Amino acid sequence: MSISRPILDVSGLTKTIDSGTHRVEILRGIDFSVPTGQFVAIMGASGSGKSTLLGLLAGLDTPTSGRIVLDGEDITGLGEDTLAGVRGRKIGFVFQSYQLIPTLTAEENVLLPHELTGGRDGLGRARELLASVGLQERMNHYPIQLSGGEQQRVALARAFMVHPPILMADEPTGNLDSANGRHVLELLISLNRSEGTTLILVTHDRDLAAHADRVITLMDGRIASDELRTGTAA
Amino acid sequence: MPGFWLTALKIAWRELRATPAKFAFVMLAVAAGVGSLTGVRGFSVAFRDMLSLRARALMAADVSVRQFSAPTAAQMAVVESLERRGARFTQVTETLTMLLGPGSQAPAMVSAKAVDPAVYPFYGRVTLDPARPLASLLNDQTIAVGEDVLLRLGAHAGDTVRLGGQDFRIAAAVVSEPDRMSGNINVGLRVLMTRGGLERTGLIRFGSRAAQRLLFQLPPKGMTVDEAKAELHRAFPEAQVLGYRETNPGLTRGLDRATMFLSLVCLIALIVGAIGVASAMHAHLSQKMDTIAVMKSIGARSAQVIRVYTMEALLLGLGGSIAGIVTGAGIEHAFPVLLKRYFPLPVEIGWDWQAALQGLACGMLTTLLFTAPPLVRIRRIRPNLILRRDMPESRPPWRERLRESRQSAGWGLVFLVALGALAAWLGGSPRAGVYFAGGLLVSLIALSAVAWVLLRAVRVLLRAFGLYMPTSLRQGLANLDRPGNQAQAVLVALGVGVMFTLSIFLVQKSLVAEIVETAPPGLPNIFLIDVQPSQHDDVISLIRSTLGVKTSLDIVPSIQVRITKVNGVPTEDLPLKGFDRRFTHTRAMTTAGAQPKGIDVREGQWWKDGGKGMEIAVGEGAAKTLHLSPGSTLDLNAMDRDIPVRVAAIYRVDGFRMSGMSEFVATPKALEGLPAIYYGGLHVPRAQVGQLERVMFDKFPTVTVINIAEALELVQEVVDQVALLIRFLSAFAIAGGVIILASSVAGTRFRRIREVVILKTLGGTRRRIARVFSVEFLVLGSVAGLMGGVLAAGFSTLVLHRLLEGHGHVGWGPIPVAVAITALVADGTGWLASFRILGQKPLEILRED
Repeated sequence: MSISRPILDVSGLTKTIDSGTHRVEILRGIDFSVPTGQFVAIMGASGSGKSTLLGLLAGLDTPTSGRIVLDGEDITGLGEDTLAGVRGRKIGFVFQSYQLIPTLTAEENVLLPHELTGGRDGLGRARELLASVGLQERMNHYPIQLSGGEQQRVALARAFMVHPPILMADEPTGNLDSANGRHVLELLISLNRSEGTTLILVTHDRDLAAHADRVITLMDGRIASDELRTGTAA
Repeated sequence: MPGFWLTALKIAWRELRATPAKFAFVMLAVAAGVGSLTGVRGFSVAFRDMLSLRARALMAADVSVRQFSAPTAAQMAVVESLERRGARFTQVTETLTMLLGPGSQAPAMVSAKAVDPAVYPFYGRVTLDPARPLASLLNDQTIAVGEDVLLRLGAHAGDTVRLGGQDFRIAAAVVSEPDRMSGNINVGLRVLMTRGGLERTGLIRFGSRAAQRLLFQLPPKGMTVDEAKAELHRAFPEAQVLGYRETNPGLTRGLDRATMFLSLVCLIALIVGAIGVASAMHAHLSQKMDTIAVMKSIGARSAQVIRVYTMEALLLGLGGSIAGIVTGAGIEHAFPVLLKRYFPLPVEIGWDWQAALQGLACGMLTTLLFTAPPLVRIRRIRPNLILRRDMPESRPPWRERLRESRQSAGWGLVFLVALGALAAWLGGSPRAGVYFAGGLLVSLIALSAVAWVLLRAVRVLLRAFGLYMPTSLRQGLANLDRPGNQAQAVLVALGVGVMFTLSIFLVQKSLVAEIVETAPPGLPNIFLIDVQPSQHDDVISLIRSTLGVKTSLDIVPSIQVRITKVNGVPTEDLPLKGFDRRFTHTRAMTTAGAQPKGIDVREGQWWKDGGKGMEIAVGEGAAKTLHLSPGSTLDLNAMDRDIPVRVAAIYRVDGFRMSGMSEFVATPKALEGLPAIYYGGLHVPRAQVGQLERVMFDKFPTVTVINIAEALELVQEVVDQVALLIRFLSAFAIAGGVIILASSVAGTRFRRIREVVILKTLGGTRRRIARVFSVEFLVLGSVAGLMGGVLAAGFSTLVLHRLLEGHGHVGWGPIPVAVAITALVADGTGWLASFRILGQKPLEILRED
């Protein structure tokens, strides 16, 4: 696979929270670029701004200033619904707390992003993905009937459902025990490779970050370090 | 995106199924509203129909034409045309004649009324003694006579009497006839006969002064009273054409107001139910923020998420409406059974699909309307909520805030217009729509402002004195202003609910008092006609010695006066035709110092000096005919004395009042010194009516006694029934409102679960936590009760005066009671709802997180 073309380009990104009574500067000028296919880990202490950065990259929030170009499209000034469309087509998301819809079965949860973008006949792909994370026997179970590890595997399958060019994960193993965490990570990396996806992962787990091609460390809203772990160009 | 509709429906259905208890309440609220609407409305329509039948009975018809000549061929052609279109017609002729009893020395003057017993009366019934149908006893050879005739002539049923030179057999005594007060010859003894019988006497010849009443019963559909009246008025330009509503305007007005009020009660029940739905949906969506944020983060647009929750609202509305329609049908059938000891109302077993469809449409529409505000707020839920739950929400720039507030204002406007349209439809008047939407808007603004001030005041109070307060009080107050608390929403919902519910109570109280005043107990049911001045004192003593010294006799003078000029124009020159020509003859006028009871001044003012000026008050009908208004002048003449008077007031009065006997009431000064005869009215217990008639006849044979006890009883019965129904249905709606409002408070319990758990984990006892909640609920309940009470006073005054055209005063007295009840209900239900939570183990909840 080619990893030369930048799928994500971030420049001068800042985020300030103004609640009316006080201002908090969370991100103070972030610049970086991610080539297609790269696995980037974003690390940092609590409150360093890593989750906020991930949220901005995924278009879940709007920056105070700066620019984000995702897959050639500047998403910075887009409206809420347009951003939702971008997320639906281009981004897969894995959360720390799984965030499955409790009233849908595993299979329906995986199918949901496909249906939201107006797709039909996605059942085969949903089942295939669930099988690839080892849940072919649990497709009709509701989230509450699944263990934490199983729920996160469903979330993984859901994230890959629409063939997103980029996948973002926020502490995907943070709520799991070490065995389950390892299993989920292996699946994430494996799916990432097989689907040819760019992976951006937020974590404070050094072992997990060790699997990444590149590690960006944040401190007080700024990039403290940006290291390449393999021969991949930043 | 058609594919997502199914998914939206699936998610909506599964969410509803996942927490049935929570949604059962929402359905209950919709069901209560729709049930009240369909049941109460259906029942009140049936009730109104029954009562309007009684109002029609006072005329024995829907429309009557009254004139002093037989209808011409052209006029009969119009009558026949009406008959061809489904109307029924009968003619009643009334004339004064002499009746000679068996063995009587002197004949008695009687009022003979000739009817066609096969069709007369169209409404009500003639009660005879022996109790047999009129048609079976009355033929061309027989008559039925009033009990006063038998008394006067010393006759009995079966005797033969002579009338108009012909023999007639008395077949029965007339106990009551429905249109006793509608005929134009009410004076004198009563004889009821067939039209053939009257013809046999030869009394009616060309030029005879006989009153003709043409009675019409209109078909149920296709012709309204007003249409028929207009057509008849064109055909009979010189006759008096009346609709049944004009027989007793006070009664029919009371019925109209009662009907409108009951429609408003139904609407309020529906709105209060919808407030419950809105509160529940608000609480539900607050809990679903995470799910919404997740859906948005995986690509759902706001419209798609709104679609999911709109479907939920629609499913709830549908379920609630269906349950409501079933409940409504139950109510409609149960009310007549529950109220059967007070009045008989036939229970119609059947399915009115139109009413059901109306209920369904109202239920769905109201649910959708009231859930729209929380649904629209879905747009504001940011997907990054999932990642930054504990961080403060960034305040959007002013442009965005302005855009969002414009959107909300737009939705609010749509909401108000739709609600106004619904109110106008149900209330049957566009004004009802305007008042409802306006009332709601003012309440929402006032309550939101008060909630805002309250929360800020609490914040300042806590900052200044928080540390000096007992812990429970501090925490309870702090709870009100905590982020995520629904205090503002609950306060607004409770306040609006209290406003509407209390308004029902206040309006019904005032309305019932006014309707009862239409025919208060003690209204005269016996009229004495032609009491000579010399008999005045003796009549009073006789009545008091017969009936008891406390009997009050309403006695008024009747003075024969001629109107010579109206506003300077000689009466002869006025363009008066037909029935209106009566004003050119001598008229009976009465005098009064103070405003008599039962007289309702519509224009001008009653004199306040006891009648020392040269003034006169004129009845509405006469004023309309003579184009009189306050300030107009009349020149009167009596005993060759010219009496110029100024019109002081125009009044309306019911026919059951003594003051209703005359169309003109002058000041005592104006008619001072003129010869008068007296008319008296008194209320006599039913059982003593016969006894009074006998003693009056023995002692004062020239005084005519008119007994209207039967007709008055009918009116009083209707008034009592209307009052009872209003009270009953209002109590029903108020009870429903209280339950729904209580549930709104209870709906906040889901928010409390986490709070209780944390407090318990930190060592808070159940008692302490309960105390904290009590403070919160009491403050919420008291403020909502106070605001709701103040708003209710304003809203009730508006509805009562503008919509129901009442004059009653809405007092402030019930407001403190409303405050206390709201505080207690809020506290009680808050407690009940939190009771189970207080008993839960902290770990059960913490594990779920």
